[in-house]
Amino acid sequence: MPGKKTRRDVAEGGLTITSLMDAMTIILCFLLKSYEASDVTVVASDDLQIPSSSALVDIKKSVALVVSQKGILVEGEPAVAVEEVVDDDGNVTYQVAESEKKGQLITELYDMLLDKAEEQKEIAASTGLAEAEFKGEILLQCDRQLPFSLIREVMYTAGQAQFGSFRFVVVKTNG
Amino acid sequence: MKGKKRGEQAEELNLVPIMNLVTILIPFLLMAAQFVSYAVIDSTLPAIGPPVPVEEEPDEKPLNLSVMITDEGFTVSGNHPELESEGGGDEGEEKGATIECLIPGCTFDRAAGETAEAAYDVRALRDMLGRIKDDKPEEKNVILVPESDLPYEVLVMTMDATREDPDAGGTTDADAFCNGRCLFPFVVIAGGVQGGGEGGE
Repeated sequence: MPGKKTRRDVAEGGLTITSLMDAMTIILCFLLKSYEASDVTVVASDDLQIPSSSALVDIKKSVALVVSQKGILVEGEPAVAVEEVVDDDGNVTYQVAESEKKGQLITELYDMLLDKAEEQKEIAASTGLAEAEFKGEILLQCDRQLPFSLIREVMYTAGQAQFGSFRFVVVKTNG
Repeated sequence: MKGKKRGEQAEELNLVPIMNLVTILIPFLLMAAQFVSYAVIDSTLPAIGPPVPVEEEPDEKPLNLSVMITDEGFTVSGNHPELESEGGGDEGEEKGATIECLIPGCTFDRAAGETAEAAYDVRALRDMLGRIKDDKPEEKNVILVPESDLPYEVLVMTMDATREDPDAGGTTDADAFCNGRCLFPFVVIAGGVQGGGEGGE
């Protein structure tokens, strides 16, 4: 008798987690649905604000080149720093130091991209897969405030390093 | 029968392991979830740009459409009557048609939440390109010539404007990468207005 009474007490005072489980299951389903196993990661920050666009072409895996307000990165590895310059009128602009360049060519970036191109060609040769074939594609993730002069230097350098097909990463505005 | 039922009721489902699993999965998925979706805009260097997919008649000049983006607005030039009419009368020199900025100097205060669309007359550019496309529906290429200090977001905005017109109904192109009407989807970026004119490479 005393045992039976205790069990009823526990049942009455026990935590009802059914509703919590319902909510969690719904959240889990939603998150699983929105989870996209993308092989391209775009890490936006204060220094790298990707502009928005109505473009619809999906992002595909290529050599990732990030041009932020602080520096240029190739596949996550820093290549060269970007300087912030304020002119006499107070306008802010961004550029790569003259010592890092040969004319329009950013030398360190050129060397890194050339290595990437060779690496990709070797992979293509060893695997023989059509998907691995080197097409000179490069994913450009640029900050929206950067001047075109800097983008042009990066594009010129990439072009010299056999990357002639540019893919500008943008934030989709419509879905 | 009655006794068996009472026995079943007494056995409660142990939800603790599944709760553990769910509580671990939710933060993991929240971290990995991408709520912003990304797209790409393709562009090539002029030397290896996509070829014009039409056979031009020998006596017909190619369009050679180019859009210059400066702090005065857009200057559209090419072999089209509309673009030559505003050429300023200089023979032998193509000046093209100018679409002036909505705000003098095409400046916009990013900190105040203004966008580039408020400074540049994108609507007028789309309308003009739409009329050119009416005459030359087979043309797909456009050359963008931005000024050296032009912000990248304005370049992206212009690429959107030259690629498609979302307000014009239906796509005229079999390719499914345009919202609304396809204008000139193949973009080539040239060297720039200032600084020697390197021609993109």
